Amino acid sequence: MGELLFLQQDVFPALMQGLWVTIQLIIPSSILGLAAGVAVGAVRVYGHPLAIRAGNVYVTIFRGFPLVVQLFIWYFGLPHIGIYLTPFTASVLGFTLCSSAYHSEYVRGAFMSAKRGQMMAAEALGFSRLQLIFSVMLPQAFRRALPGCGNELIYLIKYSSLAYMITCIELTGQGKIIASETFRFTEIFMIVGVIYLFLTTVSSWGIRRLEARLRLPGFEHHRM
Amino acid sequence: MSEDVPVLRVEGLSKRYGEKPVLEDASFSIREGELKILIGPSGGGKSTLLQCINYLVKPDAGRIWLDGDEVVPARKRELYAYRQKVGMIFQDFNLFDHLTALANVQIALSKVRKLPRDEARKRAVMELERVGLKDHIAKYPAQLSGGQKQRVSIARALAMDPKVMLLDEPTSALDPELITEVLAVIRDLGLEGMTMLMATHQIGFALDLAHEMIFMEDGRIVETGPPRKILSTADCDRTREFCGKLTDLYGEAR
Repeated sequence: MGELLFLQQDVFPALMQGLWVTIQLIIPSSILGLAAGVAVGAVRVYGHPLAIRAGNVYVTIFRGFPLVVQLFIWYFGLPHIGIYLTPFTASVLGFTLCSSAYHSEYVRGAFMSAKRGQMMAAEALGFSRLQLIFSVMLPQAFRRALPGCGNELIYLIKYSSLAYMITCIELTGQGKIIASETFRFTEIFMIVGVIYLFLTTVSSWGIRRLEARLRLPGFEHHRM
Repeated sequence: MSEDVPVLRVEGLSKRYGEKPVLEDASFSIREGELKILIGPSGGGKSTLLQCINYLVKPDAGRIWLDGDEVVPARKRELYAYRQKVGMIFQDFNLFDHLTALANVQIALSKVRKLPRDEARKRAVMELERVGLKDHIAKYPAQLSGGQKQRVSIARALAMDPKVMLLDEPTSALDPELITEVLAVIRDLGLEGMTMLMATHQIGFALDLAHEMIFMEDGRIVETGPPRKILSTADCDRTREFCGKLTDLYGEAR
């Protein structure tokens, strides 16, 4: 009975508060990360050679640096040049930049598998380069990139747990606080883990729904 | 428009990939309502010529005039406007896979010509009816036969009101029955007075409708003349040899 009360009164409210912060971190990071990833991916396929090089450097850095180091730089490093970010803003910035680097790889692959003929057809109709990328290539590339981008969303949900390292107390951070107070590490981190599992399960279900919605004749996958 | 000004005039068009010239000094012109046929062996430069004409492949040298006005491809806006007036049909159709037949025709009307939605739609439906696809407008490319796809691509080009059409072996990827349905559409276009430059091996079609035949090999225009002459009594040995094979394959020059 005491156990249940402990869960109800201490653990549950704290974890829910943490979960809410986690959700607030994930939503802007995933949307901005995907948007930036599509832009970087498009530039790395269709851009000016210099822009392609810049895009490659961007991806090398943000995929190569450990995410936690990136977060430290945004939160502890930027103040040295007079820029102060809140823990929350620094986390969203870090997640967005890192996520977009990964997204851009999925998107780049999808753009590269597009057929050259359709680009020629659009050019022959008088499309500008930007018009043809947005109205012809992107809708097809997005469909092909979606499974990969969904994968990246799942990663993002889990690496959002690094935010507490720069004092943005989200789900993992809350779990750590209560666990240290009560020394019930196993139970509390089991609960935290199950909550992440719930988030990732809901997300992958959502991605599958979206894939099904966007499926068109000629874009379906075939079973062997 | 003066009688003397050709719709399309091409002077000295050249293209090389590395050391290999694929198009050398090609010059010709087409007058309004003319249908000219390009023939010649694969790799002879027919596709390259057609793609250089609307700068899908950037020629190394050469000048092009549409209705007497020289095209300056370095000016992007002018280039896009020029391409709208030059319809292009490809061997493998190149429909936009994610769009229905209707949307394939409509998209350039909306995005490039900036027509209002309803107007673009109406025009697209009209063009699809014209090529006999009224009942298929809601289908995706994956649901259409090759012949239907090629007719959608013709409707898509026609919707832009082109002054001249370039057709790059439009029936080469089709079986005989489908060839007939596509050729019928192209024939109607010709009879309606569309100016066309078409690469094809359909010599029966060429004999019926073409005003002139251009034989190309190794990136050069070898010989030009009336179809009947090119096919049977060409001046150049190589032209005669190639056309002899064509007639053997596809039947007597009627």
